[in-house]
Amino acid sequence: MKIIFTALFCFIMPVLLLSQTKISGRVIDSENHPLPGANVFIKDSYDGASSIEDGSFSFTSEEEGSVILVASFIGYKTKEESIQLAGADINIEIILEEDAKELGTVVISAGSFEASDENKAVILRPLDIVTTGSDADIYSALETLPGTQQIGETEGLFVRGGSAAETVTIIDEMVVQNPFYSSVPDIPSRGRFSPFLFKGIMFSTGGYSAKYGQALSSALILNSQDIAEQTLTAINLMILGFGGAHVQRWENSSIAFEGGYYDLAPYFNMVEQRQDWDTPPIGLEGSMNYRLKTSKTGMLKAFASVSYSDLSLFMENLDDLSTKNYFGLRADNYYTNLSFREILGQEWTLFTGASFSLDKNKYDLNTDKVNQEEILSQGRISVTKQMFNNSFITFGGDVQNLIYKNIFDDLRSRIDEVYLAGFLEADIFFTNDFAARVGLRGEHSKVLGKYNLAPRISLAYRIGTFDQLNFAYGKYYQTPYKDFLIQTTDFDFENSTHYIFNYQHIDDNKTFRIELYYKDYKNLVKGNLFTDPFIQPEVPFSNNGSGYAKGIDIFWRDRETFDLTDYWLSYSYLDTKRDFINFPGLATPAFATPHTFSAVIKRWVPAITTSFGLTYTFATGRPYYNPNNPEYLGDKTKNYNNLSINLSYLTTVFNSFTVIFFSVDNILGFENIFGYNYSSDGTVRMPILPTSKRAFFLGMFISVGQASPY
Amino acid sequence: MKTSLTILILFLTAAGVHAGDGKYEKAMKKNLSKIDAAQDIGSMLDIANGFERIAFAEKDKWLPYYYASFMYVLSSYTDTTTGKADSYLDKADTFISIADSLEADESEIYTLKGMIAQARLQVDPMNRWMKYGQVSSRSFQKAMELDTLNPRPEYLMGVGLYYTPEQFGGGPVTAKPLLEKSLDKYNQFVPDNDLMPTWGRRLVEQLLEQINEKPEETPGE
Repeated sequence: MKIIFTALFCFIMPVLLLSQTKISGRVIDSENHPLPGANVFIKDSYDGASSIEDGSFSFTSEEEGSVILVASFIGYKTKEESIQLAGADINIEIILEEDAKELGTVVISAGSFEASDENKAVILRPLDIVTTGSDADIYSALETLPGTQQIGETEGLFVRGGSAAETVTIIDEMVVQNPFYSSVPDIPSRGRFSPFLFKGIMFSTGGYSAKYGQALSSALILNSQDIAEQTLTAINLMILGFGGAHVQRWENSSIAFEGGYYDLAPYFNMVEQRQDWDTPPIGLEGSMNYRLKTSKTGMLKAFASVSYSDLSLFMENLDDLSTKNYFGLRADNYYTNLSFREILGQEWTLFTGASFSLDKNKYDLNTDKVNQEEILSQGRISVTKQMFNNSFITFGGDVQNLIYKNIFDDLRSRIDEVYLAGFLEADIFFTNDFAARVGLRGEHSKVLGKYNLAPRISLAYRIGTFDQLNFAYGKYYQTPYKDFLIQTTDFDFENSTHYIFNYQHIDDNKTFRIELYYKDYKNLVKGNLFTDPFIQPEVPFSNNGSGYAKGIDIFWRDRETFDLTDYWLSYSYLDTKRDFINFPGLATPAFATPHTFSAVIKRWVPAITTSFGLTYTFATGRPYYNPNNPEYLGDKTKNYNNLSINLSYLTTVFNSFTVIFFSVDNILGFENIFGYNYSSDGTVRMPILPTSKRAFFLGMFISVGQASPY
Repeated sequence: MKTSLTILILFLTAAGVHAGDGKYEKAMKKNLSKIDAAQDIGSMLDIANGFERIAFAEKDKWLPYYYASFMYVLSSYTDTTTGKADSYLDKADTFISIADSLEADESEIYTLKGMIAQARLQVDPMNRWMKYGQVSSRSFQKAMELDTLNPRPEYLMGVGLYYTPEQFGGGPVTAKPLLEKSLDKYNQFVPDNDLMPTWGRRLVEQLLEQINEKPEETPGE
């Protein structure tokens, strides 16, 4: 009996007194600060505890032997350590490392402004684009950022001394040949694409990535919205016309149809226009947008748009003031963009895309007829592989076929270009505070019969939680403008070299950035284009042009100091000279001026659910060509001033969520002059003015039957 | 001899029973019972950690992931000063995705997804109402389709509407019918087991009290 009892004791007691080990210690970061709220536990068991205020933790475990101790905490890399549990108390200090991805550490950003909801360190949100400026146009909104020039008589982004042709627009990784409605002399056209189509906008004023090319100055990179969230119907009523859209959402896909008709005649009757219109602009446009989630991580996007527009007007004939020049333009545009993105395995991302665009412009110039047709087909593939430490490498290629046909009365000309490009780029995060992007881009042009190789590098160094230093260097090549290629193809690529350095501070509510840049232009094309005043004097074609642009851009944004108010200030200083097209030597071009300043202020008034906005822009005078001045481009216009206001009133009308938008451009009526046109003999001149002294816009955007989110 | 052997066997069996069965239910209930008392960030994260440990240990049970996600959503509402709300909601997103992959087409999961979207909206309403308003609406619709007896979608929609300005179709008047429907469903709700979510009823009652106390506004347009 006694023996059995003892045996029982020896067997049972160890089982009942299940060995318990006490594990305690502290959780800290690499700078010895305590981390409260971390989860410390034995892998595959419930045993564990949270660290408290001072980082200490303590718990007991009945596990035995070799186990893994895990410590996890938001914003830090989870740590695992092998420990032995044998009853004796364990005291352990756990040091956790910051997780780069979670904190959105140092971001490569020299020379660029990004607007998206996804990245924390962005300067703008997509909604900012819609509520800035007077016409909900992406390009107008970007003109309030430093680095852009105020060129009111023509469309396009003129960046840091570059012409509008030096900026490329990219949608979903593919080039858009004509992002604006067709050009009319001395009248700016709108962008074709509504800002609502995009979830992210990256505007680079220099130093852009090796993934893109064919732009000497800047790139506007637009990423379209993903799958639509909800089925809804929208109606737009505007002073310029009306339109509507319907979005249908299914489980894994969505489709949106949108269309609009505009006619400026009623508006021109209300607001006196300086031009002498024959047929005020009318247009019809429609688009379709399809999204399909092919898998948990895959997305197929298809976009197609069609637009038709017609206008005609009488333009001043400075050589014979008793007559006028007739200008008529009928434009048709088809654009389609197909792209597919998928994540393969743990480390690879694949992107492929194709796009097609057809632009047909029919001009009536007095008795001459000009037909222009531009067809661009392109394909692109890009592969990204994740590497150590959040670094990744991207490589891929582009192929583009561009056909340009120009028929001037009986004179036919045509360009057939095949453009090939390949790129390789690595984003390397050496530490959480220092990153580099190194890339190489190679291009070949069939029309020129030449190739180029462009190295690019960007560095970002974080010096404080919200402070960063950035540097970028890059070479950029561009095929000469098609109006030159029509005349001869004996050219080389034009090129520019960028050197950019900036300091920026971005926290939740305040942004400050100061950027210095130097751009060196080489091999700029010299020669004459078709249009006045470039026909005289005769200049032989060559790549002997050159130039430079240097300056400082400053940006300050504050969303915190004033209640419910968001404002930003931009200032640009630009010093540039170039010798290109038919310039007799180096001169400051007509699209550059030394000082530009913009202030944008927005205030939300909750009591009347209205957002008020105000934009003031100032620029010093621009050079203009005066045939009577021996100094080429030696004259300057007077300074430019513009104050515009807008308001957005949010309400519900007939159970439908509605936004009423109203804006007035140049409300103070400044008499701005963009330049002068001269007669052939230089004795008569006329100022190039905005299309009207003041402009206003009124629109109502209704989401049918959607009074509230629920 | 026989008696001692029996006692020995009984002891050993008892020890075995103590070590395995009901461990999951016990741990879950222990953490669930702490939720109501948790008023500050520290306690909420502690409970989230508790559920996280259970989730990782069990691996194939969706409820601990669901509750961990839920605690992170509550944390994002409680911590309004440090700017970490989005980080908490990132964690909430991660956990609810895992829960969804373990238990497809579960009404409570879609309800919580809607709640996460509402919380995202709260962080930056001016810039996010368009996107997250739609996302949460879709999730709640799906949650109701999957289980018409679940009172929580209408509770959350009612709360959302209550705090939405009247100009956008929100306010107490439009919130009231949703909250009343929700309360009806709470009165009839029977959870599938005693670990399934039952939260929310008290806030519905409180809100309805507040709405009924207010004098009737003259009807708007």
